[in-house]
Amino acid sequence: MTEEDTGSGRYVIEGRVYPPEDQDLTNWQVETRIHVNGGEYIGFVKEDGSFTIHNIPTGSYVVEVVNPDYMYEPVRVEINSKGKYRARRVNYIQTSQVIQVPYPLRMKALSKFRYFQIREQWRLTDFLFNPMVIMMILPLLLIMVLPKMMNDPETKEDLKQITNLAKMSEMPEMSEVITNLFSGGSTAKPSTSKSKQIKKRQ
Amino acid sequence: MCIYEDQIGKFDWRQTYVGRIKFAQFDTVSTAKKLIVATEENVLAALHLKTGQVVWRHVFESASTGNIQLLHVSDKIVTVSGSNPYLVRGWDSGTGVLLWEWSLTLQDNDNADFSEWWVQQGLLVHMLPAFNSHIEVTMYNLLTGHNRGATSKLPAPWINEGCVLTPPFYSCISGNVGAQRLLSVDVTSNAVQIISKPLFDYISLDIFEGNLRPLDANSAVPGFIIDDKKIVLIKNNDFELLSVNVADESASASIIDGSNGALLLQAWTDKILGFSLIAHNVNSGQEVSELKCSDRNLRIPEAEIAAVMCTRTAKEHHACRILVNGADDAIHLMQQGGRVLWTREEALANVVAAEFVDLPVSETEATIESEFDQKEGSIWAAFSRRLQTQFQQLQTLLHSFQHRDRMVENSNSNNLVRDYFNLHKILVLVTDVGKIIGMDNLSGEILWRRYEPSLDAESVGVFTRRTAWHPPYDAYLTIVGKHEETGNGLIISLNPINGELVGERFLQLDARLLQCAMLHRADEEKLHGLAVLYEDENIQVFPVSSERLVKDMYIYVADRETAKVQGYALKYDGKSAYAQKIWSVALGGAGAAGHRIVAAAARSRLERTHSPGRALADRSVLYKYTNPNLVLFLTEGPDPVHKEVVRAVAVDVASGAVAAATSHRRARALPLAVHADNCLAYLYRSDKHRRLEIATMELYEGKERWLPAGAAFSSFASERAPAVQRQAYILPAAATAAAPTVTERSLTDRHRQAYNLPAGTTAAAPTITERSLTDRHVLLALTTGAIVEIPWAFLDPRRPAMPTAEQREEGLLPYVPELPLPADAVLNYNRTVHRVSALYTHPAGIESTSLVLATGLGECARIVRECTRTPLASSSPVPCSPPASVSVCAQCASIHVPRRHRVHQPRTRHRPR
Repeated sequence: MTEEDTGSGRYVIEGRVYPPEDQDLTNWQVETRIHVNGGEYIGFVKEDGSFTIHNIPTGSYVVEVVNPDYMYEPVRVEINSKGKYRARRVNYIQTSQVIQVPYPLRMKALSKFRYFQIREQWRLTDFLFNPMVIMMILPLLLIMVLPKMMNDPETKEDLKQITNLAKMSEMPEMSEVITNLFSGGSTAKPSTSKSKQIKKRQ
Repeated sequence: MCIYEDQIGKFDWRQTYVGRIKFAQFDTVSTAKKLIVATEENVLAALHLKTGQVVWRHVFESASTGNIQLLHVSDKIVTVSGSNPYLVRGWDSGTGVLLWEWSLTLQDNDNADFSEWWVQQGLLVHMLPAFNSHIEVTMYNLLTGHNRGATSKLPAPWINEGCVLTPPFYSCISGNVGAQRLLSVDVTSNAVQIISKPLFDYISLDIFEGNLRPLDANSAVPGFIIDDKKIVLIKNNDFELLSVNVADESASASIIDGSNGALLLQAWTDKILGFSLIAHNVNSGQEVSELKCSDRNLRIPEAEIAAVMCTRTAKEHHACRILVNGADDAIHLMQQGGRVLWTREEALANVVAAEFVDLPVSETEATIESEFDQKEGSIWAAFSRRLQTQFQQLQTLLHSFQHRDRMVENSNSNNLVRDYFNLHKILVLVTDVGKIIGMDNLSGEILWRRYEPSLDAESVGVFTRRTAWHPPYDAYLTIVGKHEETGNGLIISLNPINGELVGERFLQLDARLLQCAMLHRADEEKLHGLAVLYEDENIQVFPVSSERLVKDMYIYVADRETAKVQGYALKYDGKSAYAQKIWSVALGGAGAAGHRIVAAAARSRLERTHSPGRALADRSVLYKYTNPNLVLFLTEGPDPVHKEVVRAVAVDVASGAVAAATSHRRARALPLAVHADNCLAYLYRSDKHRRLEIATMELYEGKERWLPAGAAFSSFASERAPAVQRQAYILPAAATAAAPTVTERSLTDRHRQAYNLPAGTTAAAPTITERSLTDRHVLLALTTGAIVEIPWAFLDPRRPAMPTAEQREEGLLPYVPELPLPADAVLNYNRTVHRVSALYTHPAGIESTSLVLATGLGECARIVRECTRTPLASSSPVPCSPPASVSVCAQCASIHVPRRHRVHQPRTRHRPR
């Protein structure tokens, strides 16, 4: 049937269209057409997806499946004067490059056409990873978690040690130094006595 | 341009058409009742019986390979299409899925056009008459195509061209004048039985004209009409003259199976009485009154019964559905009594010209306009006027509160007013059959229709001579075409808002037209005159009073077949206007015969140039060559060396100077050329690489301006060689890619580039926006049914192969030969439009918005919004007129400015013949 010559040097192009399997399609056969050379010859799809395009003279043809929703890859079919068929990938740039594909043609849907932009939807992750939200939540975490850590006895010990260390170092505070400088020695004494008092308490 | 899925149908609509009905039959078998039609446009479709909507549709090839020869509807649909070889296809009537197909090639190719086909008892019958000799009859198995026995030849020396087929009978009037006989033969019967009767048994031979026509609409009983007077049926192998005469000479008659025997149905349209339908009982000759109808208001020119279906109801009443086809391509489905259930304007499948027309402003807006129009007067007068108008507004407001209910009712009919962004317009569509239709562009609803049978719309020109921007004057639109019979000029002027004739009304001219153009200056009534150029190179201006306004006007005439273009200057000498031939160019070249013009693209009248150049990376400006008189001609012709050559020549049609030219070897041109601003693009099919290519050109003056900024372009201002020498430019020298004389003399810089298109294309158009601030796009209608938008940045001829750092800074994309056609650039998403014949674009009142109309086997209108790109983001245009921020305000203000600024330059219109 493939090499059928219908007289006067006319041939047929045969193949089968495979609809996308995941979708439950009704009546996709009516929506799908086969264009040879951009509609010079038109074929229609039968119930099972097979198609035949009759009365094609020898030559080189681009066979494409036209469906409004699904994209199919076009195939170039060459019929030589002896009636031999060769099907290959369409390459408009390197026209001499030949990557053969099986004949009779097997046209499989590549993907669904994405005609529309996807509207941005509100998603929780988008909200959470927003820098403003992170800036708000991190301090909140600190406020909530740190007191919890205080309850832990070991950390309490640790904290104490840290505070002790800070006090042991006896670093003169900047403000005190400045006030001392400006107010003279009179105020210096009470402040030192105060520090002594603290020492006594310990 | 991208839309969201929830915006489907918000900015667009699609109407599906099938074309003029050739065959129609009711599908009575399947549960959902349908009407199956096959059309002159090679479309097989099922129409919903209640609404007239297309249930499913198959579009065949537009060439003769898709011609539908036979439509047979039983439990399956059978079509025979093509013209030797033929294709026999079976379809499921419910779903429209192909069931079987087989091909059939006739050996006798010369007479194949006379073939007749019909289906009889599961066999496909093919009959081929050989006049004055014999009839060849072949029968095929409908499903497989197997031949049942050989071709049988019936000797029949009496057959002639006037014979008619009423399956299975083939009937003729033959014999010498005065002794004619009526002959008929059942071509499918095994035993050849010729029925032969003298003709004077049926009709008086004294007034006989020899006319025989079959009954219409798949008549239940084979029969024919002799001389538009008598109806003869063939029953039991004998003729039977009906007692009922043909009611009107133009009546279309059909026999249907009624409840009490067969019924004869006749339909015709009388000029005065309108549409009439009568029914008679065949056996008794009595009129069946319940089917009769006569409607004065229903105008169906040359009404013809396309299909009839009658069912019996319980009370022996007839419930009929009658499909009536008119000469204006409209089909009407009627029920008994003449009530029209639905009408389809199939003329719209063949739109030849379309025009967007602005609507008038609403009454309240008009008063505001008039308030600000009156500039003179003191401040007190203005103040009192203001108080007055505000009082009026208050009154209308109160009025609207009182009559709110009535307002809602009226709003449907009275809402033909301009909206805020001037998106709402009227589409005036001129169709091939001569029907002019006014359509609402937002809803696609037909507002008015007018059938002009004498209009030959083959090369029609539509001119909006006055827009609705000039109250109190109404809009004024003129259609210039040819007379169907004489070929002389025909002018139809109408008000595009309501479709009523105005001004010249319906005017038949006395001579053939060469060209017509609209004067660029309007008269006191804001009406632009129409200048027509007759074949004898005389000129006439409509109205005559506008003749004095003829000044600085140039028109050109392009002969499609010889590729010769001639330019005329229109002048006014104080008494009358006359045309003077000033230049002539042979685009094919002097030696090359057989060149023909495939396409001509001029700049749109509505387009304006926003920026005079584009900024380069080194802060210099590359100034554009924006010649409003430039027209791109695309020619095609044979070449001794390269088989076929496509040439693109850009001609200044005012002076005849050639601005640019290129040629492509071994290529065939497509009639698609686009011209906007300084950008030119055209398509051709490269035979060498077997692909479709789009070539683009941009014209630049160089880095220095020829004219001071703001000066209007003049085709005659720059120093150029005289017109006589110019013919030499396009000769073989121009055919080569680099023609040095052209380059240094007129243009300093030209860029060309070719891109591949991975798809077939049927129509092309540039987008037009109000102020051309938005990036330009090229719209292409593909053979797949998609309308794709390609940004000019992708088509930019300056795209370099290896961009330098400077070019990258300028924003030029590196050259990629294959153009991307992403799915989100498809304007009509999955609402495909097949066989698009043309794309029309029109600016809306809001910048970055363009209105698009695609016509083909389905009208599709679309508002294209370039919202995703801000118009000012494009770095290339050098703002010359208002700075960017101001122009945004100007867009809003432009709604209220009653007059649009038009570029005052000599303007030419073209119409290739």
